[in-house]
Amino acid sequence: MDVKNLNPIIAATDSVFQTMLSVKPEKGKVSIQEDLVTDKEANVIIGMTGDIKGSIVYSFSKDMALKVVEAMSGMEMKELDKFVTSAMGELGNIISGKATTGLAEQDLFCDIAPPQIVTGKNINITSEADKVLMVKFNTELGEFDVGFSIK
Amino acid sequence: MIWRDEYKIGVELVDKQHQELFKRLGNFIQTVRSDKEESVKKKEVEKTLNFMGEYVATHFDAEEALQKKYNYPGFENHHQIHEEFKAEVAEFQQEYRENKFDEDFVMEFSGRLLTWLINHVASTDQDIGEHINSVIENEEETK
Repeated sequence: MDVKNLNPIIAATDSVFQTMLSVKPEKGKVSIQEDLVTDKEANVIIGMTGDIKGSIVYSFSKDMALKVVEAMSGMEMKELDKFVTSAMGELGNIISGKATTGLAEQDLFCDIAPPQIVTGKNINITSEADKVLMVKFNTELGEFDVGFSIK
Repeated sequence: MIWRDEYKIGVELVDKQHQELFKRLGNFIQTVRSDKEESVKKKEVEKTLNFMGEYVATHFDAEEALQKKYNYPGFENHHQIHEEFKAEVAEFQQEYRENKFDEDFVMEFSGRLLTWLINHVASTDQDIGEHINSVIENEEETK
């Protein structure tokens, strides 16, 4: 696993947030973990097949997920209901689709699966990955993590 | 729904239609999320869904006509995206009529639609604007 594989995902995240929400995410710490454990409550998992087998996991705090959907809809969101998680799932889908274009430029050809949503506190997302690359982002709407696990 | 000037593609007709589409999707979402009594809500959801669906067709036709007029190279691909989207809305309309009112189903569909439409307008459609405006500029230069 190479840290450079993370770059297309970082670039796609940055671009989608700026285009759709006029929000510039600040990239924080990059770390390598054994497992994907998150304390964030709204998680979007996008499975990946092809030259890279694994998944991309977007983990948002409840507050940030609500704020993102409020910024798109102009309506007040109070709970992580199906509307909010589905909107966030599609956001993960769009970022990941863009990331596969970037990975293709590294000669890595991948397909992505429809988003799966996991909500709750202190989640351990089990994957068969050896390691998980994690990058933290900070935005005016809150903090979120993007994990890339490769089998 | 929130409209941002950054979403404009620089073609007046398309930008106006996009704003109308945002308005109609916004009405639909607001109806879906309202806590009105179920029988009232069911009817209103169907009404706002159809009202939006009609405009999706009107707008896609107008946008595709412009793409053709200006020989937009991404036409085939874009047309395909539009067709898939229209099919998805039509499928939902049918399932909605059959299921009557399944809250989770409607919430899931409308949430995805919100993000999808913003991305389509803010990102996918931008190339059309760039293409059309560069054609117009070239035409003016050669006049």
